[in-house]
Amino acid sequence: MSSPAPTLDVRTSQPRLRLVDRIADPSERVLALLLLAPAALFLGLIVVYPIARLIYNSFFDLRMSGGQSAPFVAFENYALALTDKIFWNALWNTVLVTIITVIGALLVGLGLALLANLPYRIRWPVRLALLLPWAMPLAFAGLIFAWFFNTDYGVINDWVTRLGFTPLQWLLQPGTAFAAVCIAIIWKSSSFIGLILLAGLQMIPRSLYEAAEVDGATRFQQFREVTLPLLVPSIVVALIFRTITALQTFDIPYTMTKGGPAHATETLAMLIHSTTIDYGDIGYGSTLAVLMFIVSMAVTAVYLRRLQRD
Amino acid sequence: MNRDGPFTAGRLRLIAAAIVVVNGFFPAVWILLTSVKPELELVRKPITYLPHEFTLDNYVQVFRQQPLGLYLANSVIVASASTVVTLVVSACAAYAIARLRLRYRDLILSAIIASSTFPLVTLLVPIFQTMRAVGLLNTYPALILPYVVLSLPVCTLVLVSFFQSIPRDLENAAMIDGATRFGAMWRIVVPLAAPGVFTAGILAFVNSWDEFLLALSLNSAARMRTLPVGIALYQGEFTFPWHIIAAALVVAIVPIAVLIALFQERVVGGLTTGGMKG
Repeated sequence: MSSPAPTLDVRTSQPRLRLVDRIADPSERVLALLLLAPAALFLGLIVVYPIARLIYNSFFDLRMSGGQSAPFVAFENYALALTDKIFWNALWNTVLVTIITVIGALLVGLGLALLANLPYRIRWPVRLALLLPWAMPLAFAGLIFAWFFNTDYGVINDWVTRLGFTPLQWLLQPGTAFAAVCIAIIWKSSSFIGLILLAGLQMIPRSLYEAAEVDGATRFQQFREVTLPLLVPSIVVALIFRTITALQTFDIPYTMTKGGPAHATETLAMLIHSTTIDYGDIGYGSTLAVLMFIVSMAVTAVYLRRLQRD
Repeated sequence: MNRDGPFTAGRLRLIAAAIVVVNGFFPAVWILLTSVKPELELVRKPITYLPHEFTLDNYVQVFRQQPLGLYLANSVIVASASTVVTLVVSACAAYAIARLRLRYRDLILSAIIASSTFPLVTLLVPIFQTMRAVGLLNTYPALILPYVVLSLPVCTLVLVSFFQSIPRDLENAAMIDGATRFGAMWRIVVPLAAPGVFTAGILAFVNSWDEFLLALSLNSAARMRTLPVGIALYQGEFTFPWHIIAAALVVAIVPIAVLIALFQERVVGGLTTGGMKG
């Protein structure tokens, strides 16, 4: 034990031990940062960086097939968008879809929640009936409703005929196509709203209704004075969710009508998709996406303001 | 409550249940009925409701003439892989947020949730560019990576609330017994949070299974299509092969329907946690 080897061993092993120790039990702050790092990496790569790149793109005449040269065009793309009838049409359709389906899905969802909240002995059929539309891909809902609204062999026109009316060319005319798309979206999204509102309804204490009944309140008064006010937080949550997704409407009109006839059901998301992916105009498509981003952030900001004030 | 006449409380309740059930199931049932009718019956007027002639031909065709099996495999691979990655990433983040001493805790959670309000279609263009530049178009990672971000907010929320419900003392006891913090997290918190992890996993899986826009744009090559893209692109130029589409839809809906039927309560719980706090 007189050789210098052990000393050397001690010297090298001590820091190694400390290092292992540190990995196995780092300080809380280091551990927290390590655990948050993957999420931060994903959000940085797939949300933050793309948004920066999107804004950058929008100042260039960038084409997918254009090779290396992409001339800087300053605000030309924006000027083009603001005078582009197809852009305004798509924006208008998006706003209209949002307003109609938010209100529609909220009303239908509230109805479903109230019906589902009754004291059933067997609960699963009702619960599954609310979950199935939520779990079904939007694209499938679009395809199924396209089949419903089929002019010749659709079940909707069969009912229309049985009721003694002339069948409509639902998806082939602008007005009815738009209505059909909205109906499909409301069906698909109302069940999720129903689930959220149902959870809200179930949190309202029974004692409040008993007290109202003692006071002689009618069913409708109970609904207006107890149910609705206490449901407001859930309604606000549902409203925000629905609005944000409605602004992004793509799948259902894409699978039902491809945006037609004559752009009647083309939403902003569809226009961005076709401009960039189908026509390869990345600069202009990015500009449209920036405009859409601004619109949707503005809507979110308005909601958050309201939330903070309440 | 018990009034005379045909509308007793019990009967009204039954009608209410029927409305909800028909609303939820009718489209799926209709497509199921469509899928077992022969092609000629679908183009006959007046239309039939129950199939006059029952056939399973459409199902044979959908696997023989169309690569539905391939789409199914693609969907399973993409959805499973993105679910696993999402769970690991969001469980780490949620643990840090729920349990560790952390400055700006609320800000970090808000930032993660805020990312879910960004429209996916605005991210589409640069994601497409990047995937194209690095040669990932028409590969599984092209979808798996963005899908992680798609479900990260809701999964993090669900897991934060689960982690918070586990008593801190359990962890402290383990650490006093000599476990490292990481060991305590791995051996105590993760197993106890298993139901939460499972719930978050189902939500992530459904999100990925259903996604259409990115799948359509990034993986449009026939061999890389997921179910929604593959089936939506069945439509020919002028004709819709409805008998084929219906059978394909049934095949594609069944796995997800079984999943949510088995774990209804968990899914509802997860959705409403995400909803209530978001």
